[in-house]
Amino acid sequence: MRPPGTGTDELAERLPDVEAVSVALDAVDYLSDPGLATALFCAARLRQPLLLEGEPGVGKTEAARALAAVLDTPLVRLQCYEGIDAAEALYEWDYPRQLLGIRLAEARGTELGEGELFGRDYLVERPLLRAIEHPGPRPAVLLVDEVDRADDEFEAFLLELLADAAVTVPELGTIHAVHPPVVVLTSNRTRDLHDALKRRCLYHWIDHPDLARSVAIIRRRVPAAATPLAEQAAATVLRLRGLGLQKPPGVSEAIDWVGVLDALGLVALDAEAADRTLGAVLKYREDLDQARAAGLDALVGEA
Amino acid sequence: MPDPSSSPAGTGAATTDLALVAAALAERLHDAGVAATPQRAGRFAAAVAAARPAGREALYWLARVTLVGDRSELATFDRVVAEVLGAPPPSSPGGEPLAPSAPPVALAVPTEGRGPDGDDAGEDDGVDGAERLRAAASVEERLRHTDFDEWTEAERERLRTLVGGLPVVAPSRPGRRHRPARHGHRDDVRATLRRAHRTGGDPVVRARRRRTVRPRRLVLLADVSGSMEAYSRAYLWLLHRAVRGARAEAFVFATRLSRLTVPLREADPDAALAQAAALAPDWSGGTRIGEALRRFNEDHGRRGLARGAVVVVVSDGWERADPTRLGEEMARLARLAHRVVWVNPRAATEGFAPLAGGMAAALPHVDALVSGHSPAAMAELLAVVAADGPGGRGSHRAAP
Repeated sequence: MRPPGTGTDELAERLPDVEAVSVALDAVDYLSDPGLATALFCAARLRQPLLLEGEPGVGKTEAARALAAVLDTPLVRLQCYEGIDAAEALYEWDYPRQLLGIRLAEARGTELGEGELFGRDYLVERPLLRAIEHPGPRPAVLLVDEVDRADDEFEAFLLELLADAAVTVPELGTIHAVHPPVVVLTSNRTRDLHDALKRRCLYHWIDHPDLARSVAIIRRRVPAAATPLAEQAAATVLRLRGLGLQKPPGVSEAIDWVGVLDALGLVALDAEAADRTLGAVLKYREDLDQARAAGLDALVGEA
Repeated sequence: MPDPSSSPAGTGAATTDLALVAAALAERLHDAGVAATPQRAGRFAAAVAAARPAGREALYWLARVTLVGDRSELATFDRVVAEVLGAPPPSSPGGEPLAPSAPPVALAVPTEGRGPDGDDAGEDDGVDGAERLRAAASVEERLRHTDFDEWTEAERERLRTLVGGLPVVAPSRPGRRHRPARHGHRDDVRATLRRAHRTGGDPVVRARRRRTVRPRRLVLLADVSGSMEAYSRAYLWLLHRAVRGARAEAFVFATRLSRLTVPLREADPDAALAQAAALAPDWSGGTRIGEALRRFNEDHGRRGLARGAVVVVVSDGWERADPTRLGEEMARLARLAHRVVWVNPRAATEGFAPLAGGMAAALPHVDALVSGHSPAAMAELLAVVAADGPGGRGSHRAAP
C-alpha cells in the first residue's frame, strides 16, 4: 500500500469528476464519449492500469496521448512486439561508452572502479524505467502499446513491475517510483491476455464513434477542411465499414482521408475524388476492388 | 499497485450502502457469468466514491469500466445492469453488435489449472478460486448438451491410449533474445566487456551469443461436420493435446466457427472435451468451410492470430456452399500464415484425387496435404507440423 503522495492530490484537483475529464480532453482536441472519459478518470484517480481494446483506428493510442496532455505530464510510450525483452523495455548498459571509459581511464593512468563503470552515467534508460523515474510533480502516463504482441513472459514481467512500481538494476539496487505512472495498455486482441493481467486492469472497449461524433473529431483534427467534406468523408467511411472489408477503416483513416482531400484543394467529395484518393482509406487491393465494385457513387452518397 | 478493495478507509465512512450495492451488483453479474471478482467490486466502489456519479449513465460507465474484464462480457453485463438499474444502458456510440460468431460465453469461462505456467496468476488466486468455480458453474448450466457425453467408457479408453501418447511439438521460429553460446554467430558485447574488465580493459576473449528459438504459434481448425464424424472425436483429442502441450489455438467448425482454446486448456481431458463439445452447437451438421474460414480470418486471423503461425486445417473438403468462396478465404489465410497444412483423412483412400469441389479450390493455397486418418498417420502429421519446412513459406505450396 502506497501512501497517497502529493501527485495523487494534484490529480484529484485536476480531475475532480468525470465531467472535468471530458472538458479537459476536449481542450486538448480529443473528443471523448462518456465511457472513455469514465475509463480515463478511473485510471488516473484509482491509479489502476487501464486496458483499452478496440478495432484499429478508433483512437486507443490517442487516448493515452490526450490523457498525458490533460495531466500536463510526459507520455512514455512502450511499443510492444514479439520478442521484446527487458533490455529494450527497461534499461541497458551503454557498452561502447563503458569501453571508452575504461580506455580513457587507462590513458590517464587512473583506475575506473566497478561502481563508476556501472553507475548512472552509463545507464541507458528505456521507457519503463523512464516512466518509473519521472520526478513529478505529477505521475507520467505510461502507454504500453499493443501489449498483445509481446510474449506472455514479458506480460508477466510487466505485471510484476506494475504491481511494485519499482525496478531492480542488479548493479545499482532497487529504484522505487516517487510518482508511480498512470498506466494505459492497449490491445488489438490478437491473442488472449493473461487472466492475471486482466484482473489487475480496468477495462474499456472503444467502439467506432457514431456519425456526428466522427464529423466533430475530423473537424477538430483537420480544422482547415470544409465542413461538408468532413461530413461526406465520415458518412462514406461509415458505409465502407458496412461492406465487410478485410480492414474496415476507422476514424483515424477518415482523418487521413480528409487531410488528403483538403491538400488536393477539394471542398466536396464526389466519386471521382474518392477514386483518386481511396488509397488513403483502404489499404488492401481486395478492399479497393470491393469498394469500387460496390460503386463509389453510392458510397459517397451521390446515387 | 494499491488496490482500493483492500482500503475501505480510502473510500470514506458513508460508503456502507455503496459497498452493499457494489457487492450486490457484482454478485448478479457473477450469476450471469461475468467474472466480476470481489477485487473488481472494490474498485467499483472506490470509483463511485471518487466520481460521485450524477445519473444512471455515469453509474453505468463506472460499473462497466471497473467490473467488466473482456469485450465478450459486455452483452451479459448490459443485460444485468438493465435489470438492476431498471433502464436500458446508454447505447454505445456507433454501436456495432458483437460479431455473430464470437463465442459469447466461451471467453468468460474462467479456466482452472492451466498447468505449470498458470501459477503466476498471483496471490489473488486463492481468494477468488471459489468465485471462479461459481461463475463457471453458472455458465455450464446454460450450455447445451451434445451426444458427446454418450461416449462409451471403452471408446474413451481406446482414444486415450491411441492419441494421448502422441507428443505435440510446436514448430519453432527464431526468437528475439540471445543466450551465450561458444559458437554463436553474434558477439556478446556485454559479456566481452565483463571479461575485458578482468584483463585490464583489453577484450581478450570474445564472447559469443546465439539467437534463442521460440515456439511458433500453432492454430488448429477442425471440421466436425457430419461427413467428418468418424474422425472428429479423435481430432478433438488432438486439439486438447495441442492446446495443453503446444499452447495451440483450437477452433472447430461445421456450419459455424467455435473457438475452443479456453475450454480445452482444462487439464482433465474428459472435462475439457465435455465443455468443448457443449460450446460448439453444430456437431455433425452440414459443412460451410468457406464461411467458417471467413469468420476465422476476419475475427481472429487478421488480428494477428494466424500471422506467422502454422495453421492446420482438418477437413475432407466437402463444401456444401460455393467452393469459390473457400478458395478465396484459403488464399487470404495463406497470405497471413507462415504455413498451411491440410489434413484430409480421405487422402489415404486408394485412388484419391482432390476432386471434391472444396478440396480442389483449397489445394493451390496449401503448403502440405497429409492424410492423418490413423494414429500412425496422425503421428506423421505431427512430425510435419513440428518440422516446419526449412524453405519457409510457400515452398511446399502445391501447383494449382
